[in-house]
Amino acid sequence: MFGHKAKGNYAYAVARVKAKKAYLIGNDTYQKMLLMSLPEISRYISECGYMKEITELTSKFDGVDLIEHATYMNMARVLRSILNSTNGELHDTLAKYLEKWDIWNLKVILRGKSFGLDADGIREDLIPAGNLDSTFLNKLVSLETGEEVLDHCKNIGKVIPVEVIETYNKENNLAIIEDFLDKYRYEQLLSSINPLSKPTQLYQDFIRREIDITNIETILKLKMEGVYGNNIMKYIIPGGKDISKKLVVRLANAETLSATVDDLAQLSFYEDIKEALDTNTKSLKDVMIGMKKYKMKKTQSFSYLHPLSIIPIIDYMIRKENEVNNIRIIARGIESGLDKDIIGGLLVI
Amino acid sequence: MDEGLAAIGAGIAVGLTGIAAGLAEKDVGAAAIGAMTENENLFGKGMILMVLPETIVIFGLVVAILIIMG
Repeated sequence: MFGHKAKGNYAYAVARVKAKKAYLIGNDTYQKMLLMSLPEISRYISECGYMKEITELTSKFDGVDLIEHATYMNMARVLRSILNSTNGELHDTLAKYLEKWDIWNLKVILRGKSFGLDADGIREDLIPAGNLDSTFLNKLVSLETGEEVLDHCKNIGKVIPVEVIETYNKENNLAIIEDFLDKYRYEQLLSSINPLSKPTQLYQDFIRREIDITNIETILKLKMEGVYGNNIMKYIIPGGKDISKKLVVRLANAETLSATVDDLAQLSFYEDIKEALDTNTKSLKDVMIGMKKYKMKKTQSFSYLHPLSIIPIIDYMIRKENEVNNIRIIARGIESGLDKDIIGGLLVI
Repeated sequence: MDEGLAAIGAGIAVGLTGIAAGLAEKDVGAAAIGAMTENENLFGKGMILMVLPETIVIFGLVVAILIIMG
């Protein structure tokens, strides 16, 4: 009213996601699922809210593909239904957060185009949970080349700078575009948050911590591959909370992983990854799982602090994505014949 | 004169508590509908929570009656 944008229907949206949260698969259930076969998992998840998607896709896919596609389709529908049930500033903020999936879809399309995948193959891997609807995504998929896709993205305000496209064309390296898109998304997301109230400050903190986690993942992965110095710095996303530029440079320049431990000890999530760093320096799997657990723990505690804010909704979205990832890990693990303990160790619970 | 002021006081007591109950019910009602959209079984709990702010109006009404009768 009078040109002032409404704050949004926080009470309605938060109550809805809290009710949805009660339907998420519990930690004990994952242990039961580890003992099931693939058809049993399909049947079981169809009783846990995935019925519509399993029924819809059962004639097209089977086994692990059915589970993967059904869970992704369900997640996309759930996230979009939450977005569609909100209004005002809440809707705008949520839409900005869900751009994550637009970037994901754009990357999938670009990868598909660069590897010469057919339109149907690309379409199967899309997760339309963001702002771009199926019609627009289909249009992008139907374009011939990656350049045309990038050009068409100008219509939705995603302008890739000429120099980035030129470097991509010269080096024929898709990672350049992908890195740009990731940095662009966080830059846009952070600039869209107006930290005037405590909940928006917490939301901004959460996003900045997410940037820290992504940066630490990048640094550790590259360090495992023996990359350091400026080669790491170009992949770092600016805007993190705990990790200053100075610390990033120090972490990037450290020659070994063990030399970074003292610097990592300054981070707020060090306690969650400490054990994994101490016991297993050859694999980063446990460190990544530790950081994911930290992220979930943080959003949950923030959501209790401010129940009528965007944070409980983000908390649910992260948990839903985690549920889908856990189901996929179990399904893929069982299909590959992995030991139950190994699969169990990969789950984020 | 006194009767007129008492009537104004009684009106304020009921009116303000009515507005307060309305403001409280706005969020409680929206949350109850949101929860019921996902789980119909929450109707009973939603209904109880929905009528709780009505007690404020009852207090206002009692105060108004006391003013008028006194």
